[in-house]
Amino acid sequence: MRTARRWLEAGTVAASLALGAVVWEVAGRLTSGAFWAPLSTTLASLGTLAASGALVRYAASSLQLYATGLALGIAVGAPFGLLLARLPWLRVALEDYIMMLYATPMVALIPFILSMLGFGFTPKVLVVFLFAVFPVLYNTVEGARSIRPELVEVAHAFRSSEWQLWRDVMIPYTLPFAMTGVRQAIARGLVGMVAAEFFLSPSGLGQMIMLGSQNFDTANMLAAILVIVVLGVLLMDFGRWVERRFAPWRRASE
Amino acid sequence: MSDAQAIPAPGARRAGAAWRAPPLALKVVAGVALLALWEAIVRAFAPTYVARPSGIALVLFKVLADAQFRAAAGATLWAVAQGLGISLVAGTAVGFLMGRVAAVERGLRYYVFSLFATPMVAILPLVTLWFGYNADARLAVVVFASFFSIAINASDGARSVPPEYLEVARSFRARPLATLYDVVFPASLPYLFAGVRLAAGRALVGAVVAEFFISIPGLGYYILFNSRTFKHNEAFVAVIVLVAAGVGFEVLVRRLAQRYLPWARRA
Repeated sequence: MRTARRWLEAGTVAASLALGAVVWEVAGRLTSGAFWAPLSTTLASLGTLAASGALVRYAASSLQLYATGLALGIAVGAPFGLLLARLPWLRVALEDYIMMLYATPMVALIPFILSMLGFGFTPKVLVVFLFAVFPVLYNTVEGARSIRPELVEVAHAFRSSEWQLWRDVMIPYTLPFAMTGVRQAIARGLVGMVAAEFFLSPSGLGQMIMLGSQNFDTANMLAAILVIVVLGVLLMDFGRWVERRFAPWRRASE
Repeated sequence: MSDAQAIPAPGARRAGAAWRAPPLALKVVAGVALLALWEAIVRAFAPTYVARPSGIALVLFKVLADAQFRAAAGATLWAVAQGLGISLVAGTAVGFLMGRVAAVERGLRYYVFSLFATPMVAILPLVTLWFGYNADARLAVVVFASFFSIAINASDGARSVPPEYLEVARSFRARPLATLYDVVFPASLPYLFAGVRLAAGRALVGAVVAEFFISIPGLGYYILFNSRTFKHNEAFVAVIVLVAAGVGFEVLVRRLAQRYLPWARRA
């Protein structure tokens, strides 16, 4: 009975994916090549790009940018958030400004970065960093706020050392929140990566999309978008896994 | 643990615990300090055209009074409002269907989740192919940016309706539409609010990147144009308006949730 249901479920999903593939193919054949390309042509372009090594080159350049910016964002956001967990007065002083920066659409800063820092790798890393750092910081500070002052007082009463206080109170309480921030940073960083590759110097997967659109090669463009969609899905699943791994009791809402 | 405890804790000073300044004063002091830091860094290290608090303060009212700037702000915020409205109606409908009808959920699950995970910037060239370089393309990007987070949250909400509520509705022979309106909708409101908050942020980003890409009047284009001509202070006023819109919407949704959904603690 249960296996039958499982099969039915898998069947519906498979049918929907197959239907989507057919619609993609038919839409490509019915419309002008400037609007949409059939799935078969798109996959053929993807195959050509992969065989020539261009796909790997573009993807490697993108991932290098993404990983650098994201790592910097986490390396700055999490420790600073933890520091604010230890120093409540500083947290109270800064938390509204952190919330404001968290809500700021960082894409709006790209033109400033372009005209100040120009082209190159560093300004693009700065963009990914700005997209990634504030979700980590904001969520870590939320975690810091969730530490009850009594816990710190008890720790002091038992003469916990500074290191013990961090190990047994600060880190366990803020880490789950920080991981929610990391998940959001993983998703936002990808937006930052593509935006940087579009609006600063073209490079990577963003450049691949742009080239396809400039040459009116819709199949190439769709192939590049497809790669980014798959990358986005994989990264989002990875982010959920990271969050669950460190914080099984918190649920995702972004 | 044991090895660490063997050492007596010498550094058990109560750092910060004795601090009892009123929070508001702390916040104001911190804000002034941050602005001063920004001003000092720009004065010391950056070229004169780079935006800094004193420069922004000088041009703030002039820019806000400028008719062209007002038109740009109106265009962007109106597109965001329209797009959010479309996404809210369509996303809630699709999300409820997914949440209540298993076949729909299985059929759409992968599409909705993968398009939710897609950075909206990546589809800009495709959108301009379809809609041209105009305001329709911006609206399409805003809808794309906001639709999926609302649909996913609406679907989660519709799925989380306690079964007892639905049983009661059924035993009173409620019609399906009445069940939807009186049971499913109120029960999933907390999820919808969460979805709308998330969607609003994404919609703002969508509108700005669309304006960068297609160069139509709006706050994004205002920023692009003025920063290219090295008027960073003027351009930054547009950033302030964007932040104010984002934070203002966030505060509004929180207030509405507190006022009308006091039972929901799903922040």
